[in-house]
Amino acid sequence: MARILGIDVGGTFTDFVSYDSKTQTLEVWKTSSTPGDPSDGILNGMAQKISDKVEYMRFGTTVATNAILERKGAKVAFVTTQGFKDVPFIQRGKRKSHYDITWIKSKPLVKRRDCYEIDERVTPREGIYKPLNESQAREVAKKINSDPEIESIAVCLLCSYIFPEHERQLKAIFETECPSKPVSISYDLLPKWKEHERSSTTIADAYIKPIVSRNLQLLQDRVEARGDIGKIAVIKSNGGEITLQAARQFPIHLSLSGPTGGVIGAKYIANLSGISNLVTLDMGGTSTDVSTVVNARESFTTSYEIEFGIPIQIPMLDIRTMGAGGGSIAWIDKGGMLRVGPQSAGAQPGPACYGRGGEEPTVTDANVVLGRINPSNFLGGEMGLDVQAANKAVQKVADEIKVTIDEAAMGIVQIANNNMVGALRMVLTERGLDPRDFTLLAFGGAGPVHITDVMHSANISSGIVPNYPGQFSAFGFIMTDARIDLERTAQMTSKAFDKEHASRVLSDLVKEAEKSLSAQGYSGTLEVYRSLEMRYFGQNHELEVPIAFDVFDNLTISEVWERFHSVHKARYGFDIPGETIELISIKVTAVSVTLKPSLPEIEKAITPAEPINKREVRFDSGYLNTAVYSRAKLRAGDHFNGPAIIEEGASVTVIRPEYNVKIDPYGNILIGEIATN
Amino acid sequence: MDMIHMNIVESAMIAIAREMGINVQKTAYSTIFSEAEDFTCALANRNGELIAVADFCPAQIGGVPLLVRSMVKEIPLSDMNEGDVIVHNDPYRGGLHTPEHTVFKPIFVEKEIVAFSVCIGHFVEVGGMVPGGFPGEATEVFHEGLRVPPVKIMKEGEDVPEVWKMMLANVRTPRGNYGDMRALISAVDLGEERLKNLIQKYGAEAFEKTVQDLMDYSEKRMRAELETFKDGKYTFIDTIEDDGIEDKEYEIHVAVYVQGGEVVVDYTGSSKQAKGPINATLGVAWSAAFNAILHMTDETIPLNSGCLRPIRVIAPAGTVMNVDYPGSSVGGNTESHPLIVCAIFGAMVDCVPDRVMASEGTTHGCFVFGGHDPLNDEPYGGFDFSYVGYGGRLFADGNDATDSINGNCANTPMEVFETRFPWIVEEYALRPNSGGPGKFRGGLSNVKQMLCTGEMLVSQMTNKHKLSAWGLEDGQEGALGATLYKKSGTEKWETTVEGYGKVSSSKYSNIPMTPGDRVRVLAPGGGGYGSPLERSRASVEEDVREGYVTEDRAKEFYGL
Repeated sequence: MARILGIDVGGTFTDFVSYDSKTQTLEVWKTSSTPGDPSDGILNGMAQKISDKVEYMRFGTTVATNAILERKGAKVAFVTTQGFKDVPFIQRGKRKSHYDITWIKSKPLVKRRDCYEIDERVTPREGIYKPLNESQAREVAKKINSDPEIESIAVCLLCSYIFPEHERQLKAIFETECPSKPVSISYDLLPKWKEHERSSTTIADAYIKPIVSRNLQLLQDRVEARGDIGKIAVIKSNGGEITLQAARQFPIHLSLSGPTGGVIGAKYIANLSGISNLVTLDMGGTSTDVSTVVNARESFTTSYEIEFGIPIQIPMLDIRTMGAGGGSIAWIDKGGMLRVGPQSAGAQPGPACYGRGGEEPTVTDANVVLGRINPSNFLGGEMGLDVQAANKAVQKVADEIKVTIDEAAMGIVQIANNNMVGALRMVLTERGLDPRDFTLLAFGGAGPVHITDVMHSANISSGIVPNYPGQFSAFGFIMTDARIDLERTAQMTSKAFDKEHASRVLSDLVKEAEKSLSAQGYSGTLEVYRSLEMRYFGQNHELEVPIAFDVFDNLTISEVWERFHSVHKARYGFDIPGETIELISIKVTAVSVTLKPSLPEIEKAITPAEPINKREVRFDSGYLNTAVYSRAKLRAGDHFNGPAIIEEGASVTVIRPEYNVKIDPYGNILIGEIATN
Repeated sequence: MDMIHMNIVESAMIAIAREMGINVQKTAYSTIFSEAEDFTCALANRNGELIAVADFCPAQIGGVPLLVRSMVKEIPLSDMNEGDVIVHNDPYRGGLHTPEHTVFKPIFVEKEIVAFSVCIGHFVEVGGMVPGGFPGEATEVFHEGLRVPPVKIMKEGEDVPEVWKMMLANVRTPRGNYGDMRALISAVDLGEERLKNLIQKYGAEAFEKTVQDLMDYSEKRMRAELETFKDGKYTFIDTIEDDGIEDKEYEIHVAVYVQGGEVVVDYTGSSKQAKGPINATLGVAWSAAFNAILHMTDETIPLNSGCLRPIRVIAPAGTVMNVDYPGSSVGGNTESHPLIVCAIFGAMVDCVPDRVMASEGTTHGCFVFGGHDPLNDEPYGGFDFSYVGYGGRLFADGNDATDSINGNCANTPMEVFETRFPWIVEEYALRPNSGGPGKFRGGLSNVKQMLCTGEMLVSQMTNKHKLSAWGLEDGQEGALGATLYKKSGTEKWETTVEGYGKVSSSKYSNIPMTPGDRVRVLAPGGGGYGSPLERSRASVEEDVREGYVTEDRAKEFYGL
């Protein structure tokens, strides 16, 4: 392994992190993104710095995300069971909110006139209730083929999660009759009950397949043409990498590729520092992403909606995004309450202090007013900030609610912090996790500014600001493993449990996962994780219980039931001893571990850290004369107490008076309890 | 008033209520909780004022203040201890209807009750004359299931076995009801723990002050909003088509008085109470008025008792708008509530034309059934929702296939439904042409056809089989709903009047179904807004291409 390249394609910039194993050095740079064809930005950035061979190139892509959000995917034909073509239109019958008379129901990614019904039926109780009418299916296929506008086909039949044969038969028919139109079947993507969620996911896969396929092919061709790149992989929504060839089969797995880098990086930092529980705060200009690493593993979810009522349910890192960032605008509502966001000043005009004509006060402006952000050292001095403009903007809201400008600025920052604490609590307490067991990892341009405030309000005793907080996602991409998540329905209760069947499903899944990874050429150490989705018989939502065996026998299965009761009690505060338990599905995750860079250590401190200067910075108790450090000058082992400000090119770390700081051997900033050890 | 602190406390309380709801959804047994989310989680102060609520089921939200006050009347604060949990469902003690069970937990800080954590949930099976809780032919509250006055189901953290036994002995699905009740209790436990932490952070006194400020703030916002409304008296009359007992109509009279930032909703003139279960309880009459006004005002006003202060309700006793004991009321909460809301919209179109819509289908379908499932050798009860078309608006078409305005319940996916119950769903679709024609047409409703595969009893409480959803400003009416049965071995689809000798096709009890029988439930469409002749040609053509409107109908109404 010589050089690994991680690339994060963002809305404004494409970030690059390159690691050279010979010299054990990291290099970080960026170029402007090229939304029209993202491969231009990638190639431009590579041309800037890459002069010798790259063994391994990995990137996060926003092509799938943007095609869905901007509704620029293909025209899809949706094929389903007789009587059910309106499932994507009826959705689940809910309104987005209770009292909004202006609400307009979301439209699916398919037109109703492009939906087709096939005579067939499988049911949970009867099995194959009506065989597939093949000749009718062929008629439908011919009709779809004759429509030149249709680019791809989505098939979701009722109860196919139990019996996938009809979907497979249809796939074969469509592939024969419509050779130029790719076919997505629901069983391949989400072999789980609930027809609307499965249909919607399948339609989304078909919707982005042509555009993702074209983009990945183009990039692959251009990169290969350079002749100096070894393996190329793209990052899936589950944070695992996949070859471009394999990714094109099921592009829906790339739908949330971009934001995963920070979480992968967080997991790496957790392992490096021996911390098992991390919560991440990736705060940028317009939004903040929150995620968790629990017991040194990322957290996953399958619940995601691209718009209200349009779900995509694939395994993905559990990253919650909220519309609050440095650019969020503060305003006074009709009742005189100070509010922050969801409107954002965005990149243009940006916060008032950017001096580009913005007049609304933003969180960044409040931080300038409070002395937290140094106007002459923003983005490492690349961009001077207009303090007058920031003051003027914040003064405007201060006047409206009749407080001083400092109080208004503090209020803006506190409300922004409170919104973030709310999001942190949701990702933690929703899963029964206690914030006190977690370390906060803050990155993105604005994350380090708010880290100690958030620690303070959320009752989190330790915090970390990693190196390169502004390019942390790209950093994460040099650390990825190949990963596949599989799940099969195997519904049965503890009263009538078929151990042999369960063991067979489990071993089939393990084999399938291993096969998929080796087919992509991954031959590293294989880690296999198994778990069961279970609930009390009668409940409708499952709890995931990890298992560590391959064969269900009397001993292992009785441990499973006991484990379920205790997990339920821990999660929801009660259990129902003696109640029948229902197994719903078996899950297998296989991870092919790739070689990880070993990070360079920084110089050790010999003399105590010296501030570069001091300035007045506002904290809860008032203005304090605060030491300002330059991050570039800090050495391993340096330690000092708050209040303090640590400045670097891409960000500023604000340390409240009650916290202390220590620099670890790699240059990460440790804060609070973790810094005292 | 510390506006910054208030913002922080408010969002923390909403987050707590939301977390409570997630507990209910994930642990409950009935699909009506786990899939449909027919429950509400809220926080109230010791005076019974609603201080925060999360978005789950709106019908129940307006009921919280009356519920807490009625409970405290019977169990004084001095008789409550830490760890007590109180349960209550009585329509004659502030309740909404018998299926709606409210669970309360007092929150003590330094030995004083400061607040209540509250969870209201709709139990499918409550005993009474039909499985599934909706006896369309009930004439007394006693027919509508077990009445539970406020009683402690837990004392100081321990179950009260007598109460559990009594409640579970009176329902057909004790195992499911037990699981559902546990889910509700786990939610109020969570609410107690979380709110207590929040209160302790600031101290009880400061917390109570902030909460008062918050309610004052909401009141101020609501008054400011209502001040922009043109003063005046706005009236409307809508009609309940029958009550399941007699083939006779009942009128809902609405007069909305708007003056100087306050609103009075007066139901005087409404028909005397019906024998059948379409009567509203006082809680429903209040809740419906609040619901309508909340739809016309800024959605960002924090929802608590403060914003309800400028709204008063006059509901004369002994009428369909405020039933006297022991009248029946199970359908008042589901069917009459949306009718009332739409009647208020109808009245207010002259006042705030951009904040109302034409009538929606005003029903949840409330198709209920129960029997013994041979597959699991256990009794079951089920509730199935229909989705109506919403009314057209000044600025947009009505939404298609959406839960009626007093609920916000999700469907039970067909695959879950068929796993849980002995039915095969044969069709689940939109009904073309069901939206009332208009410049902005009414939304389409849904149809569901099912084949029965077990022995069961079926009942229903629905609406608009005879009187359709009206349009506004020359908009046309939406399609009627219908429920049709086809007995095994026959070819004829019949209503319950034709096939089973019932008085009503929409409100009836205990139709016996056997394997091979079919039922087809068609929900009513929404009314249109504005003349259909003014609809843009492009919209009409798109409707025809998408199959929302058929070609002949486009010719007939839109002049295509």
